[in-house]
Amino acid sequence: MTDNPSSTMIEVSNLSKSYGPIEAVSKVSFSVKRGEIVGFLGPNGAGKTTCLKIMTCFIAPSAGSVKIAGMDVQEKPREVRQKFGYLPENAPIYGDMIVYDYLAYVGALRGLSGKKLTTQLAAVAERVGIGRVLGQVAGTLSKGYRQRVCLAQALIHDPEILILDEPTVGLDPNQVVEIRSLIKQLGSERTVILSSHILPEVLVTCDRLIIIHRGGIVADGTPAQLQEQMATNPPVIVRLASGANGFEEKVVRAFESAGFAGQVRQKHVGLAGEVEFELVSRDGADIRSRAVEVVGANGWKLLEVRRDLMDIEGLFRRLTQE
Amino acid sequence: MRNVWVMGKKEFVSYFSSPIAYVAITVFLVIVGLKFFVVDQFFETGEASLRSFFSLVPAFFVFYLPAIAMRLVSEEKRMGTFELLATLPVSDAEIVLGKFLGALGFLVVTLALTLAYPVVLLALGEPDVGAMSGGYLGLVLIGATFLSIGIMCSAWTNSQIVAYILGAVLSSLFFFMDRLLGAFWEGARRVAEYASFDSHFNNFTRGVLDTRDIVFFVTVTAICLVVAAFSINSRRWN
Repeated sequence: MTDNPSSTMIEVSNLSKSYGPIEAVSKVSFSVKRGEIVGFLGPNGAGKTTCLKIMTCFIAPSAGSVKIAGMDVQEKPREVRQKFGYLPENAPIYGDMIVYDYLAYVGALRGLSGKKLTTQLAAVAERVGIGRVLGQVAGTLSKGYRQRVCLAQALIHDPEILILDEPTVGLDPNQVVEIRSLIKQLGSERTVILSSHILPEVLVTCDRLIIIHRGGIVADGTPAQLQEQMATNPPVIVRLASGANGFEEKVVRAFESAGFAGQVRQKHVGLAGEVEFELVSRDGADIRSRAVEVVGANGWKLLEVRRDLMDIEGLFRRLTQE
Repeated sequence: MRNVWVMGKKEFVSYFSSPIAYVAITVFLVIVGLKFFVVDQFFETGEASLRSFFSLVPAFFVFYLPAIAMRLVSEEKRMGTFELLATLPVSDAEIVLGKFLGALGFLVVTLALTLAYPVVLLALGEPDVGAMSGGYLGLVLIGATFLSIGIMCSAWTNSQIVAYILGAVLSSLFFFMDRLLGAFWEGARRVAEYASFDSHFNNFTRGVLDTRDIVFFVTVTAICLVVAAFSINSRRWN
């Protein structure tokens, strides 16, 4: 691997995985560059975990390939596994082991030994804040500590890539904030891919979102890019003070006959004395000023004009609902 | 190989970090002791031999060792730690060998605790040292074979109970095969005798070290471990 900062660390191409007749993942392709924090977002059962399990060489794909740091996961599973640290869903841990022994065990299987293992273990424990529980039996840990210990396990060999499956599930709000900021810190020096079904989580920790739904990618980009993509031809909302009987129909007819709006409909407001209309531009141009002209020509009382940019929450819902 | 050692050590230690190991070993020693001293009346018969010991222990192993092996893979699958283990840079064969090594260590400890019997015999009379050492070697070999069957069954399921039942059933089929089959089908007797663990084991206790018996147990053990490794690997294709 070169040290080129923009080199590709994870390359997924045309990945498919079927469980019997059910296609869990279908022709998924994306790549992750060095240093990126990528959020893998989708509703439960969308295929996130399946993708991660293939990336970590736990299961084999039905078709397609995954390359980690330039190596195919099918051809060089051992080398690939050394490149990443993995936090599986639900942070599995050996309940009967002392936390220190557990980390030393994983470290040893990662090829660390002797002084290197002890210093690395101490550094990681400090990093994720588990120094206090190193002597505790893992089965007695709180969910938050358990998650941290499992994260420490993923970091023990100082990997270039971190793969985290639902890292904050089951934590209380304070713990969620702590783990998120920890991930963000860790992401400043390595490539991170994390899966989640919680949008705000991905928004605060990740530079980039990949939204997956029913086994396929439905969106890929930074939050701003996604908003931009979805914002082509956003509807214009015009709010007016309501008039006499039949006012609404009159307004709709006036906007329609002005010619710039392809679609005009009244929206429900729920406030007495106010009415709202949604206008969609015929050719994609910004029609706010022309709408205002129509309002002025008719002498209606204008309360508000705005473009209805969909927020990322709405975008997520729209992409993942059918 | 280092990974096998690391995993074997972890499994070995984890046996002794729960009370189950101590309970299991105690039960084993008490039953063996009762049979040796009370049922077979060691002091009354006045014979310096371990024959009664060697006749009981393999039959006891049929039900004891599947319990020692049952959790090795199934529990990891149930707890989800298996996913962690299998995504570390270790191969499926190493996982199986590591688990086998840990369980074998437990078996050796169990057997070592019975060395009091030969020591007593040597103090009291003139036992056949060849037959005794052969018997112990036979116990390690037949025990290793039962453990490998247990690990194989453990790799097939994520339930310890299912793993135990499968392991005990398979082990007893192999162990009692000659008596079972031979009882109602004379023609199969010779085949059954060859495949039966019991008949191979009995050669050891007579002090006869036949390569064929050693090869038999080593081969069955190897086959079971290979099947276990393939079973672990099959998750990738399901």
